[in-house]
Amino acid sequence: MEFQRATPEERRLYYREEWDVKQIPRFIRDSLYQREFGFDHHGRGPNDRYRTFRNEDHLRKFMRYRTPFAAYTSVAFYQKPNRREGWIKSELVFDVDAKDLPIRSCACDSVCELCLDQAKNIVSDLKDTLTSDLGLKEIYMIYSGRGYHLRVQDEEVLGTDSEVRSQIVKYLVGAEVPRSEYGQEGITYNLEHFAIPFGYHQVFTQRIKQSILHLTMETALDDVNKKLLKDVIKNRHLLLKDQWGPFRQAIGPIRYKRLTKGLAFTNLGLVDAKVSIDLKRILRLPSSLHSMVSMKCTEVKNLNTFDPFQDAVPQFVYERKD
Amino acid sequence: MVGVPFINPLSLEGREMVRQLGSLEDLTHDNPELIGIVTRSKSQDISDDQDIPRNHLELALKRLEWYVKKRNNPNFNYRKYAFLFQGDIEKFDTISFYLLSQAIGVKFGPNSRESRLMAESQGSLIQNRLEELNTRNREEIVLKALQELLSQGTLKWTFFEDLLSSRRIQLSDLVLDQGEVIMDQDDFRERLGPRLHHRDPDKMYQLLIGEELRELILIQMVMQQTENYMAEVHEKSRLMVEPNPLLLQLADGVTEILTQPTPSYTGTGKVARQSYRGPLNREAFPPCVKTALEGIKSGGRNDAIVLFITPFVSYARLCPDIFKQNVTVRVSDKDPQLQVVHQEVLPLIYEAAERCVPPLFEDQPQEKININAKIGFGMHSTLKLENEGETKWYTPMSCEKIKLHLPYLCRPDDDCKKIGNPLIYYNRKNWILSREQAESGDKKEDEGSSGEEVMENQDNDWIDV
Repeated sequence: MEFQRATPEERRLYYREEWDVKQIPRFIRDSLYQREFGFDHHGRGPNDRYRTFRNEDHLRKFMRYRTPFAAYTSVAFYQKPNRREGWIKSELVFDVDAKDLPIRSCACDSVCELCLDQAKNIVSDLKDTLTSDLGLKEIYMIYSGRGYHLRVQDEEVLGTDSEVRSQIVKYLVGAEVPRSEYGQEGITYNLEHFAIPFGYHQVFTQRIKQSILHLTMETALDDVNKKLLKDVIKNRHLLLKDQWGPFRQAIGPIRYKRLTKGLAFTNLGLVDAKVSIDLKRILRLPSSLHSMVSMKCTEVKNLNTFDPFQDAVPQFVYERKD
Repeated sequence: MVGVPFINPLSLEGREMVRQLGSLEDLTHDNPELIGIVTRSKSQDISDDQDIPRNHLELALKRLEWYVKKRNNPNFNYRKYAFLFQGDIEKFDTISFYLLSQAIGVKFGPNSRESRLMAESQGSLIQNRLEELNTRNREEIVLKALQELLSQGTLKWTFFEDLLSSRRIQLSDLVLDQGEVIMDQDDFRERLGPRLHHRDPDKMYQLLIGEELRELILIQMVMQQTENYMAEVHEKSRLMVEPNPLLLQLADGVTEILTQPTPSYTGTGKVARQSYRGPLNREAFPPCVKTALEGIKSGGRNDAIVLFITPFVSYARLCPDIFKQNVTVRVSDKDPQLQVVHQEVLPLIYEAAERCVPPLFEDQPQEKININAKIGFGMHSTLKLENEGETKWYTPMSCEKIKLHLPYLCRPDDDCKKIGNPLIYYNRKNWILSREQAESGDKKEDEGSSGEEVMENQDNDWIDV
């Protein structure tokens, strides 16, 4: 499927005939009056900001008559959203953009089925960690048009500041090589990340496994030369059976250390960290149209069965003549 | 066995000691009991009466002096402060802790370098006091102090929000399962043991959690509570008509200790060189700064210019050794007439803003005010000395923060490998460049060239202290 920009007429068709305000997830509709809305009317960025809506009907009318190029809503809840004042709390969000994945097996310029699928797997892994390690439960997944958003609504994290959020991001993506040397009674023990099947060590192991399996000879990793990259690709089949010990041995312990360091640095690009740590960010409004690619920003109920090319394509795309 | 207040003066028992205290004025009088404890301390090496704290106030200052000296000089005489590690000083020490925290809270407030140093010194004291104990006593006191701090049954990771926010601990330091922090051995065995293959869960517990993590959490929690306490005192003091003169006197003593010239030392114990200070040397800028100065595209302009370049350029020019300083510094301390700021610092920042696409001030002229705010002059369109202090002079972002906030700027070169802040890179690179320049000057001189370049090299501020 080709990603094509929506015409003003197509936008009108979408918002008047296909879109319904009830398609906006309840977690947003319930807090409509506390959120700031932003709009992009001409495809030049969301410069119509500080908008607020008292109720669903006002929003419905606005969308139907203005048929914006793009619509956004704040992750923050304010006392005075029209002035972005009186911050109350912010959703904890993670933005996985298929276009910006640091390691991609596809060689496409923008977004394709392969990298969208890879983004979907990353989202699934991140969600698992949010649940299994951080114990978070109220997590919504949104297909954004070119990737996915994870939006956490658990009350216990909504009040956290940027610093805590940056720690969560780093934990979730495996941005640092875990400690491997432990001492007890004067003896030092070496425990590599793959020897510890829980906590951050396990998260790191899972993330770098996925990265290694997607490496190509064109991937640029900090401090990893072509020879090392070639050896990693040659031996990565061992990781399919989680044979980390033999894999590390085949690479060599010093080079393995360089590899893990390079991968940890790259992992930071799995999500757009700026989005997660910015407490006043605006995010694409679920149910709205991503006019640049003519796709619907859609809430994903079941990630396993979700197919953006089935579930996020607006009707007008099927009716296009060319 | 020492008491909990010896490790955590903010414990219930510690607070009770303060509650039972009589008049504050009595704390300035010589106290024979305290003098007795100090002079009878095990392994003490005090040959001068001046080194003996004679009352609570002097003991409070000794606590801080010990930390500053220890931090700056690996060769300092530890035995001069041996009394700080005697369990029987607990009562005096606890009261001194409160006096010092209150003095710093009242005079310098939270987020000051003084308050940070106070919290750090408390952490370091706990660490050193624990090291003086035998294994059994150490384990017991840590458990007892922690029990009070972690009174709840299940421990959610969000309980440590303050510690995570101040980066005292990393989320990855904790062993997490279903949102809970695993600290207890039985819990570990039951919940995580079955996942381990061919490894003894008890041994793994000792390695991954054990004493080390417990002590880390204890120390960091007390440090955090110390900071919170000073912030609380500061808030209360704002409502008071006049703070107690005794606290102000103590705060002056704190300033005296912290402003004493403290040469820094290299790892081998030699006196280190001073940081380069002088006109900005663009050649020594790290890659991230060079990239940002070339101009940033829409989307990342504000953060790059206001949050990143402004603190970096101002500190690099005016106070490159800020991370070695013990006291809060203002721009006017380094540039009293703000001449350098107007002639060198702001022009470079504005130049970078102009190179952005679109130029930053074209559509966001208010960012000029934000730049003034970031160097401590409040939210005003012009820099005026009378407004200084309304906002904080932001220190340069760490490499870690840059990777998160401005990932497109981080393209590390070989010199980036061992540093954690662009300002440290700048200082180090200046040192390397000046050394290279000196070497090439020596070489040229040997070859019979003129001595002009050597003279030029001597113009900078690289002096042995």
